[in-house]
Formats: sequence, structure tokens, C-alpha cells
Amino acid sequence: MTQAKIFAGAPALHHHASRRLFMRQASALSLVAGAGAPLALNLLAASSAAAQTAGDYKAVVCLFMFGGNDAFNTVLATDPASWAAYSQMRPEASIGLRRPGVLPNSSAGAGTPARLGGVLPLLPTNPQGREYALHPLLGKVQQLFNTERRLAVVANIGPLERPTSKTQYLNDLTHPKPPRLFSHNDQQSLWQTMQAEGATVGWGGRMADLIESSSGQKSAFTAVSAAGSAVWLAGKDVRQYQVSGAGPLRLGADGGGAVYGSQRVALDLNSMVSTAAGNHVFEQHMAEVARRSIKAELDLRGALPPAGDPGALQFLNPISGTLQFNALAHQLQVVARLVDAGRRGKTGTKRQVFFVSLGGFDTHSGQNQRHAELMARLDHALHYFDTALGATGARNSVTTFTASDFGRTFTSNGDGTDHGWGAHQLVMGGAVRGGDLYGTAPTLVARNQASDFNSPDQVRNGALIPTTSVDQLGATLGRWMGLSDNQLKEVFPKLAYFNQAPSQLGFMG
Amino acid sequence: MPLILNHSTAHLCTAHPPIPPRRQPSGLRHARHWALLAISCLAPCWALAQAVTSFTVVNADTGSDIATFTASTGSAAVSGTVSLASNPRINVRANASGTTRSVLFSDSSATTHTENSAPFAYKGNSGQAYRAWAPTPGTYVINATPRSGSGGTLKAGPTASLRLTLANAVPPVLADKPATRNEAARFLAQATFGPTDSDITELMRVGYAGWIAEQFNKPSSESHLQFFSDVLNANGQGNDKEVVATFWKQALHGPDQLRLRMAYALSQIFVISLRDGDVDNHDRAVAAWLDMLKAHSFGNYRSLLQSVSTNPMMGIYLSHLANQKADAATGRVPDENYAREVMQLFSIGLVELNLDGSPRKNSLGGAIETYTPSDVSELAKVFTGWSWDCPDRSNRTCFLRGDRNNPQSDMTLKPMVAYAEHHSPDAKTFLGHTIAANTDAQTGLNSALDHLARHPNVAPFISRQLIQRFVTSNPSAAYVRAVASKFNNNGAGVRGDFKAVLQEILLHPEARRTSATSGKVREPVLRLTAFMRAFAHTSKSTRYDMELTDNPANALGQAPLHAPSVFNFYRPGYVAPGINLAQGTLVAPELQIVDETSVAGYVNFMRDSISYGVGFAAGASPNRRDLTADYSAELALADNVPALVAHVTNRLAYGAFSQARLDAIGSAVSSVALPGGNATAAQVAAAKRQRVHTALLLTVAAPEFIVIK
Repeated sequence: MTQAKIFAGAPALHHHASRRLFMRQASALSLVAGAGAPLALNLLAASSAAAQTAGDYKAVVCLFMFGGNDAFNTVLATDPASWAAYSQMRPEASIGLRRPGVLPNSSAGAGTPARLGGVLPLLPTNPQGREYALHPLLGKVQQLFNTERRLAVVANIGPLERPTSKTQYLNDLTHPKPPRLFSHNDQQSLWQTMQAEGATVGWGGRMADLIESSSGQKSAFTAVSAAGSAVWLAGKDVRQYQVSGAGPLRLGADGGGAVYGSQRVALDLNSMVSTAAGNHVFEQHMAEVARRSIKAELDLRGALPPAGDPGALQFLNPISGTLQFNALAHQLQVVARLVDAGRRGKTGTKRQVFFVSLGGFDTHSGQNQRHAELMARLDHALHYFDTALGATGARNSVTTFTASDFGRTFTSNGDGTDHGWGAHQLVMGGAVRGGDLYGTAPTLVARNQASDFNSPDQVRNGALIPTTSVDQLGATLGRWMGLSDNQLKEVFPKLAYFNQAPSQLGFMG
Repeated sequence: MPLILNHSTAHLCTAHPPIPPRRQPSGLRHARHWALLAISCLAPCWALAQAVTSFTVVNADTGSDIATFTASTGSAAVSGTVSLASNPRINVRANASGTTRSVLFSDSSATTHTENSAPFAYKGNSGQAYRAWAPTPGTYVINATPRSGSGGTLKAGPTASLRLTLANAVPPVLADKPATRNEAARFLAQATFGPTDSDITELMRVGYAGWIAEQFNKPSSESHLQFFSDVLNANGQGNDKEVVATFWKQALHGPDQLRLRMAYALSQIFVISLRDGDVDNHDRAVAAWLDMLKAHSFGNYRSLLQSVSTNPMMGIYLSHLANQKADAATGRVPDENYAREVMQLFSIGLVELNLDGSPRKNSLGGAIETYTPSDVSELAKVFTGWSWDCPDRSNRTCFLRGDRNNPQSDMTLKPMVAYAEHHSPDAKTFLGHTIAANTDAQTGLNSALDHLARHPNVAPFISRQLIQRFVTSNPSAAYVRAVASKFNNNGAGVRGDFKAVLQEILLHPEARRTSATSGKVREPVLRLTAFMRAFAHTSKSTRYDMELTDNPANALGQAPLHAPSVFNFYRPGYVAPGINLAQGTLVAPELQIVDETSVAGYVNFMRDSISYGVGFAAGASPNRRDLTADYSAELALADNVPALVAHVTNRLAYGAFSQARLDAIGSAVSSVALPGGNATAAQVAAAKRQRVHTALLLTVAAPEFIVIK
């Protein structure tokens, strides 16, 4: 709860300062070494006594909201013009949230906007001449933004091939656009890999590849998913380790190393499951995954700190009014435990990329209740993670960003919304320049008589054309992780089309 | 090393007379087709320092040579024949002599490819692993120019040309009966929830086609709804656990296995999920949904599409139930969810396909998307005005919410009906088809589904996925084409006949063939059904008191009707990271749920299932679960380890284990000593049980069981 405050303040600033100095040294070195130089930061770190301290550890966490989060009801523009458009397209009788300051109506139905009360105002450093607020159940996120300043908003971001104007989108058939817009699986893939479904390498995994090849430090735990297979983590060389929320799972044997009472049988079982006799590709793959499973569990056995109080994983479900287990927080718990092990040198790597996820965001119907519950889960999980990292002093070492298939339509279909494109996302961490918006806030208008949206940012049903690309977000995080300009260009080849230097979204200072 | 380097030059340019294609014997069910190859030399081969002296067609999956064709002196065309029946994935090696250091390949596509080391493979290779080429019918000209330097540099030798003509797919004659019980079992692993002794015996007796015909004629097993209702009545409860129970009951014991297995396959293409809270509120209707799939298993795609589209469970899951026409006053627009997914997932897919499942290409070589956002918006209007079959159609509350006081109401079992006042009266234009303004909702829906069902994508899109559910993750283009052709026309002019589709899937020669890339990873649910059928499990309570098996850390990571989303448990095109790419891109949908956690969770789940049984505890003791097997036959073999291991592995993996692996299992089993001397009977029995459990666990944990090749 209020524990978070203990860790804010001076120590973080000190860390920022030293990190910037470090970055300058790093870029000087990379200038000398020229193109194709090893990861300067790690090279430098390897020869530095400071590298042995936990301060050099960094991790990026992708929190993926599967289904397409309704960003229009997550981060809201509340300046008079925007709010007028919002309340016209999203009437209070359907899915319209209440303006800031409206008190909750405790007799209204669970999850309804009236019951939730007004949206929660944000106080950005640079409001771009606008006003903003958060979903009423993002109270902890509001505190992280307004008070702790460890959380920022990236406005209207999404997959792009090139900067794309409305005219180019609608009328220029030759203008490159992301393939298969509005399709769940493909846009999930585009966020993670910059390609439609079928891609096998993601930008988290590519960053991990380059980090490993530069540092020479190979680890089974450089890329870790706590939420099943995630193509974002797949590198050309790096393979993701998929861990459960409860931590690594021991294959076969009980605590005494026995199967059916026999240690010999346990060993033979391990051997049988992790070897393939023939040359069949799938048999070999099954055996390989089993080998990785057994080895990872062995490597991590005893390395992870205890999971802690299970009560902290419960969130208040706004629909049932009861405390319930939050699987997203559980995933973030194992990430925090792995971060802690990593900072203590137990996982053989100083740079990690993590993937966690929450599903259910495809709110075509019943949006009020469904989205309210999801926002409550998100709010609780982010706060839980921030608190858990704070407890071990790891906040400055970990940056978390949200992602989702796509944003949704500005229009309502009665009790829900349909597939869109651009959306607002959150970035959280001690190294984040929080309390601000990055990218460009979109102009929101209501549909006119011609069934059109007279905004340069809105197309069919008021969906957003992104003005910031996923590549820019990735490059900003990649730079923080220590990738060189050339490495960033390799991971994000389309960066050159966006009229900004790679690190200049600015939220990482 | 290319074999040709060892050849004596005297043999390099021997002439072969052209061999004409064999005539097709009439009456053969499958046509035989042949590849024609012709080679010409521009100059006498022997005169050159660097020369391509012959071409060898290789099997890309095994790397073995299929046939070598050698250019003749001064050469007129040389032709040879290769049946691609057992080699759908090939490559072509240019065999070079003398000082050849690299070979430049070109073909009619105007692309060139340089090979810098032997073997010089037309489609590339990684070491001895040839990249797979699954050619579509047509004539191919492959030119190979040898060079004395690497990278296509220095002196060139003469260009050798290969003319390769391929007709249609090339299935060989299929043996109608399995030669061995293991062959029979492998077929039954594809077509059922797992072979049993009696099914194997029956298949051996009647043959493949005969067995399928018998299955077509078997009456449908008990309705899922009836079982669900019986359980509900007897115990006053019914929730998703009971839906799962009826699935397991029939998977384990239903005699109409092929129908049931098809229904399960369809449940992974036309997906609803009990993970959705609103669907889960209507468990009885989900049992009826399973019956609906079962009723269409041997039916027709178009009818299935109708039933799926108007089923209220799909209406809830993809939110077109109570979807309303646009309203200018409130700014409301129709819900697009079902309109999009019925195209993307249930009928035509995202990109235009050839009959063989490969994507059609535009002039720039890119895929051609099948629909636009406008098509989705227009089709969404078709799906407005559909809702519960309310007794009072004027009751707006019932339209919106059904019978809220009784989520098990009978209206949840009936197809959705049209409500004119909520249906969009607009004209609807999508995919080049227009439904006129003011067409009534039912007529409009029928017209829209007709239009989707006749799209040329449907046959390859659905056929390929069905092949993946039954036989193999990576069917050849020829296999997909053969099944899709049956989908388009069952031979009697009927489109979408699932019986014809199933026959082609299961009887196609490729379904009988094994290679290093054939078959598929058995999904966890099918692993467990195969195990529980191989060692017949019975339910003590008769209620089939199964747990949900969807937790990857302590169960299977998969439970029937519990997909995470409408995109199923895994995607048809999933490529596992790190899979051997030298073989070409291999997809493996089921590997999407195989990871470091789920492999351990599976083994641990099976460990306990073997010793305690499956499902919830049958009584006070957690060590006796509801579904258990009688292992007396296995216990009788406990003192004869080789016999025990042979018995168990044949039941589960149908001869897939090598002798060394059998010995490894045997060694583990033998390490459990059978006490002698004055041991009590209970001690001996416990040791025997431990031996049997050990043999079972090592078998189900092994890749030989998990991959059905």
C-alpha cells in the first residue's frame, strides 16, 4: 500500500545521474570502436568493478493485454472538446465513464460507470494543452503517475510501417501499412515482432540476442515468459524460458528426488523424457524442451527468494466485491523473484527481458463489467510489482511497459467496442521519467453527419491511426538496456522512417 | 561430399532412353503421376574441367537419393521418371566433376541461387540436410552452371539443364489392410481417441476403408445433453465439470469414435470456450453444443456453418447474440465480432489460397487479403437482430438477456431467431455480394453464409486444419489439394461433405507414411485419452468425475472446450522456436503449449494418474480416484520385464521404440527388485505395482509416445 513511498526520492535521482554518466562513457567507446562494436555498455561493465554490483542489472517487462485493450476508457482526454466528443460517442447509458469528480453511486449496478464514479485526473508535466484522466479503478496507477512519478503514458502508439497520415491510410494504396490490421492474432504478432502471425523472432528476443553476443554472457534466463509461449521473447539464438507463476517446476521427482519411491527410476525417467532416439524433428524438440526444463529447475533451485505472502496476490474484484487471486500479479511475483536472483548474480545474466500477460480485453459486449474487472486486475498487479521491486531496491533496474493487440473503436456497439488500431500504453519503473505523456495526444471528435470523423487521427468508427510506432518504444527501451545505435537499427530497421533519433521518445530520460 | 566425385568419368555421360509415363491402370482410385526429367549438355561432358554431369533427385526429409539422371555425350534430351508418391518433399542435387567449386542455379522464375559447397542443391541445404521443396504440378526447368571458383566466380563450365515435369499428386496404391497390429494401431491413433485391442482386431479384419464405412454406419452414441441432464438430476448440480465429464465418457467409451473425434476436431476450429464466464453460465447449452458438433461430424460444412452461426453459445461467445442495428441517435454501430471471426476462422481465412493451401500471390509476390474493414462492417449488419428464441418475441428484456432467472432454460438449447425490429434494414455489400435493402434477417443470413461457403478458400482452409487435427502438422501441397478437392466435390457433385473429406484424410497415402517430419505432436488431451483407452479406465461413480485439466503446472495445460480464446489452444501455423529449419519451415500447432513448465506438469500429472487414477478422489482417500484401470494383465507380467515393456510400449506407442530404448525402460523397471524369500504377499504385490507403474510412466513420458509419427 503506502510502502511504495519509502523507496521514492533521493537514491533514485542519484542513480539516474550516475547512469547518464555511464551512458556517455558508453557512447564514447562505441564511437571509437565503430560499427559492429560489441555492446559497449557491457564491455565497459566487464572491466569495471562497478559492474559487479547489482546497480548494473536491468530488465524490461512486457505486460501484454490480450484481446485489444479499450484505451479510450483507460486513458481519457478530459479537456472540454475531447470530453464532448467522448460523451457523444459513448453515452452514459452505454459505456461512457463519468467525468472527473462525479461521486460513485453505491446503489448503481456493480461495474457500471455510475457505480465506479468519475475518472481519475492525471497531472502530467507537459499536458500538451490538454487534460487527461484514468479509468476510475486505476487509483494506484494514478498515484504512481501523479505522486510517485514512476509511471508514464505513451499516447496513441501502434504498429506502423511508416509515419501514416489519414489520407495515406485511406487513399494511398502504395503507402506501406501494417498487414492484417484489426486481426487479433496478427496485431499481437505485429506488436511483438513487427510482422503478422507466422513470424518467429520478436524484438525482445533480438535485444537479448545482441546483449548476449556482445557481453559473451549466455544464460538460460535472459528471456523469460511467465505467461506461456511469447514470440516477443524469441530470438534468433536466445530461447525463452517459460516459468510458472509458482516458479520452476521439478519434473518427475518428489522432494526426495524419487519417483514411486526410487531415485534410480527418477534418473531413468529424466533420461527417457529428455532424449530422442531417432531423427524425428518433433521428438527431438520434445526432448530438448524437457532437457531445458530439468536444467532450469536445477539451476534455479534455491536461487529464488521465497514467494511471500499469498494474500498480496489478491485484488478486490469490483463485480463480486470480494478479494480474488490475481494471476497477473502471480506472474509478476515470479518475475520479481527472478529479478532478485538476477541482481544477486544467480541467473548468469545482467540483462533480462520478461513477458507477462492478462487476457479478456476483447470487450465487444458487457464492456462495463469486463473492463472494470480488468482495470482492477491491472491496477493491483502494477502496484504489487512496484511494491515488490521496491522491497528489494530493484525499482530502478526494471522497466515495465504495457502492450495490447490494438486499441478499439471510439464508437459503442451498445454495450461494447470493436477492433481498432492505435492505443495508449503505460510505462512504469524507477528509471522512467514518470508523470508525463509521451508521443502525441490524438485529436478526438464525434462522428459527423457524413458518418465521418473529422480528425486527422481518427478513421472508421473513430479508431486511431497511431502517431508513434512500436519501433520507437522498443528503441527507447533498447537504448536503456544498452544497445548501440547500430544494434537498435538492426532490431528496429524501420526506425529510420520515423523522424526521430532512436532514444528520443524521452520517457527513459 | 557429393557422391558423384567418386564416380568414374567413364560413367558420367551414359545415355538413357526416354521412359514414357506409364499408362494409368483404369479403376485405380488414385491416379499415378510421374516426373519427367531431361538433361542436356551444351558440350561434351568429359572434355571439361568443371562440369555438371548429372542430377539426382533426393528425398528432402531423409536425404536419401531417389534417382540419378545422367547426361549423355553431346546430349540430346535425357528423360527419366520419378514417382513422387512416397517423396512429396524433394530437392535436386547437381552432381559436379573436376574442379567445380560452386554451382549457379537458375530457373524460369529468373531468380538465381549459388551453392558454394557440395552437395550442390537446387533448393539449398545445410550440411547433409536438404531444404524441402514440395513442388506443385507443372513443368520446371532448372539450369546449373559449374564454376571453378566459389561464389560463382572464375571459369564457367557448360550449363546443364534439367527439365522436370510434374503432374498431379502421386499416391501409390494403398494396402487396404494393415500389415501388422502396430500399423493398425497407428491408424487408430489418427482416427480415434486411441487404439484399443478390440478396435485393432476389427481394423485388421475389415481393412481401413471398411473400418471407416463401419464407423459411418454406427449409431451416434448417447447425447451429451442427456448425460449432463442425468448427472444434473441425480446430484442437483451441473457445471462445466459435467460438460467435461460427458466429453471424457464418450471419448473413452463411445463406440462411434470417428464421429466423436471429428466433433472434437471441429471444436478446435469452431471454438467456443467455457473459460468465458457468460458461456460458463450456460453449461447445459454447452453440452448441447457438443451434440450439435457431433450431429454435423458426418454431415455437411454448410449446415454446420448455419448451426454454428445461430447457436446461442456462439452468439454469447462472439457477442452477436442481441446485436442491434445501428442507431444514429446514440451513435451505436453493429458489433463486428462475429462478422470478422466467421471469415477469419470459420470459413475463408485472411488470405486467398490455392487449392493446395498455399497463399495466392499478387503481382508483387505478396499475399492477397480476402477482406477489408468495410467487408467486416457490412457483414456485421447481417448478424444484427439475432437472439434467444423467446416465448414472447416482443419482450425486449428477453431479447437482450434471455431468461435471466434460469440460465438453463430450454431457450438456451434452441437456435437463435431473428427479431425484425433489431435487424439492420440496410443493403449489405461484402466480398462482392450484395443483400438487398429490407431483406428479412433469415434470408439475409442464409444468403451471407451461402456466399461464404462457396468461396474457393473454404476447401483448402478447412481441409488443411482437419488434416492437422487427425494426421500431420505439415501435409504436403498434394495432400491438401487431394482433400480440398474432395471437399469441393465428393464425387457426386456435393460440396462440403465431411464423410468424403474424412475418407480422403485418413486413406491418403501420406497418412500412412512416416518420415523425420511426418505426423504431429499428440496434444495433451489426446495423450490422456490414448492412455486411458489403451488401459481401459472405468468410472467408479459412473459420473466420470474428471477434473479440469487446463493448468499446465499440475495437469495437462489443456481441457476440452477450454481454449483461451476463439483462436484455440494453438494456431495452425505455429512455428516452434529452435525447430530444425534445415528441413524447411515446419509448423507444429501443438508445440505452442509445450514449454518448460508444461512438460514437467504433464509428466507429474501422468505419474500420479498412473498410481492413483484420474479425476477427483472417489472417496475419503485422495489416493483412489474416480477413473482407474485394471492392471492385472500387466501385473501378471511384472516378473518378465521384457514382456512387460513390450506389452506396455506396444499398447501406447505401436512399435515406435527402438530396442535400445526398450532396454532402457526395462533396465529402470528391473531396478525395482521383486522381494523373494520371506516377503509378504503385500510386499510382492507392491513391488509388482511399482514395476508396472514405472514401465507405464517411462513410456508415456517418452517422445516416442508423445509424437505420433
